[in-house]
Amino acid sequence: MTTLDFLFNGFAVAFQWQNILFAFVGVLIGTAVGVLPGIGPMSGVALLIPVTATLTSGMPTEAAAASSIILLAGVYYGAMYGGSTTSILLNTPGESSSVVTTLDGYQMARQGRAGAALSIAAIGSFVAGIISLIGLVLLAEPLSNVALKFGPAEYFSLMLLGLAAVSGLAGKSMTKALIMTVFGLLLATIGIDAVSGIARFTYNFPILYSGLEFLTIAVGLFALGEVFKTIIERDKEDGAIAKIERVLPTKQDLKDSAKPIVRGSLLGFFIGVLPGAGATLASFFSYIAEKKFSKHPEKFGTGAIEGVAGPESANNAASGGAMIPLLTLGIPGSGTTAILMGALIMYNIQPGPLLFEDHPEVAWGLIASMFIGNLMLLVLNMPLVKVFAKIIQTPKKYLLPIIVAISFFGVYAVQYTTFDLYLLLACGVFGYLLAKNDYPLAPLVLALVLGPMIENNMRRALTISNGDFSIFVMKPMSLVFIIAAVAWLIIPLILKLKGRNVIINDEE
Amino acid sequence: MSKTFDRITGIVFLLIGLLFVIESRSISQSAYGSSVGPNIFPMALGIILLLLSIKLLFETMKYEHVETSKEPLQYMKFVIIFISAVLYAAVLEPLGYVISTFIFLLVSFQTMERGKWISTILIASFFSFGVYYFFAEFLGGSLPGFPEF
Repeated sequence: MTTLDFLFNGFAVAFQWQNILFAFVGVLIGTAVGVLPGIGPMSGVALLIPVTATLTSGMPTEAAAASSIILLAGVYYGAMYGGSTTSILLNTPGESSSVVTTLDGYQMARQGRAGAALSIAAIGSFVAGIISLIGLVLLAEPLSNVALKFGPAEYFSLMLLGLAAVSGLAGKSMTKALIMTVFGLLLATIGIDAVSGIARFTYNFPILYSGLEFLTIAVGLFALGEVFKTIIERDKEDGAIAKIERVLPTKQDLKDSAKPIVRGSLLGFFIGVLPGAGATLASFFSYIAEKKFSKHPEKFGTGAIEGVAGPESANNAASGGAMIPLLTLGIPGSGTTAILMGALIMYNIQPGPLLFEDHPEVAWGLIASMFIGNLMLLVLNMPLVKVFAKIIQTPKKYLLPIIVAISFFGVYAVQYTTFDLYLLLACGVFGYLLAKNDYPLAPLVLALVLGPMIENNMRRALTISNGDFSIFVMKPMSLVFIIAAVAWLIIPLILKLKGRNVIINDEE
Repeated sequence: MSKTFDRITGIVFLLIGLLFVIESRSISQSAYGSSVGPNIFPMALGIILLLLSIKLLFETMKYEHVETSKEPLQYMKFVIIFISAVLYAAVLEPLGYVISTFIFLLVSFQTMERGKWISTILIASFFSFGVYYFFAEFLGGSLPGFPEF
């Protein structure tokens, strides 16, 4: 079968009524998650995993996995749409990838052009979503064919590269990022060892035999951590929300933003494919690029529509691009994709090159549904932008306790143990404390997901080589990955020593 | 960033690393199915964590004293909500989902902001009944609904 046949079959999956509904619910919740300050895409996706798990519990495994990943991915790219709304109307970004949108978006809103800014952001996101999906369709097959030739040694090194990339770019201190990574890997070793069947670090607590549940830790660290932060450091009451008068952009607006949208989409897509660099960096780079390209760079910061169109396209394209390493290589490049991967693994579906062969329904169904979802977002966002702006006003006093209650429900409904509820609360406290002190949480979650796979591949490689560690540098591909991983960690250090400012990626 | 916090975490991670190194020595070395036993990976990671936390401790020496702007922190609210969440976890099974969730939400809503009893009671009961009936009755999931006598 050719790629087009697969894509066609994917659309057949995506057009099943329950999957259309799931995509719709996903993008709707995603937009809300993006709009609400305090819940980012990462905690939004983590919170919804248990809900989707129960919604799909009656279905056969593969269909259930396809439906839930369609919903969860919808939350991910829906949040990228929604994030721009608060940036433009309130000058407070809904999530970190929309920080640069505040620069020109809020200025536009103050000039009474809020509607134009919002709709350009939506159009740009839509174009970016489609461009990155075309890239995904084109790259998926060749990349997974390459990856199929990988042995355990190559996989081990590739995963190290993934971890190095995320740790190298996360947070202000690389030492702290690396500590979180190693700690995540160590937490992943708790439980029964899959290769030898020996219990490790369980101390005869039966509850620990299956290991610490990834879902509990992710929800605790991100969702509860964020809730605790907002309770303790209650943000100042938000300012007035700018009025939206005219929703449609003018012809001049469209003309001005056409090129930035295309440039932002392409740039964002390629940045998204790179592990470690995510939507935040993409939007940042796009803003700089637009300022360079512009004939009137002095207009930036005073309400230039290019400054909204470029970054908003870039962050959406990056979220599409980030799906590529996840789906084809089985290596998530960011915190949110790590959580998506954890969700797939919960359904016993292993992302990676074999995904397209073993579970075409899941892989292509997801890709096709992203086309539909992006279309839904455009249709939803243009007329409903005023409704979404209302969500911002949800009182925190109701929102925060309900998030706690949803986390409790989600974790308990999947795990059926009170132990996980205590673990959840503990992770919430640690998540708050660690994030407050610049310990990035994304590497920990990534390491927790990748940990068992890294260890198994390492041991399989060493079994092949009879315990000789040189196998990792003797295989050419593996050597390339290891060199890249080392470079990713060392180059920022050298730049720092030279006194250069290193751009880092925020949690997303 | 807080120097004290980084020192404490440095020491805590140092101890965790040490614990993993020591404890992985007592894991059986049987390498059934693989030429490397289940102890190698955690031990190596433990050593790396040890080294990293020593590096972190050294880095804290170099911190310049940063005056952090003191914002009023609402620890009381957090403590009340956290304790009620712990109690919520404890009574979820014996008391059932609906009652425990209702009480937890009511307490937290009132902690966040006093007053408006009617709307808080309405939202709390709507959420706890709604989630339970949607999940347990409509979707057929299993959740301890009410106390068993």
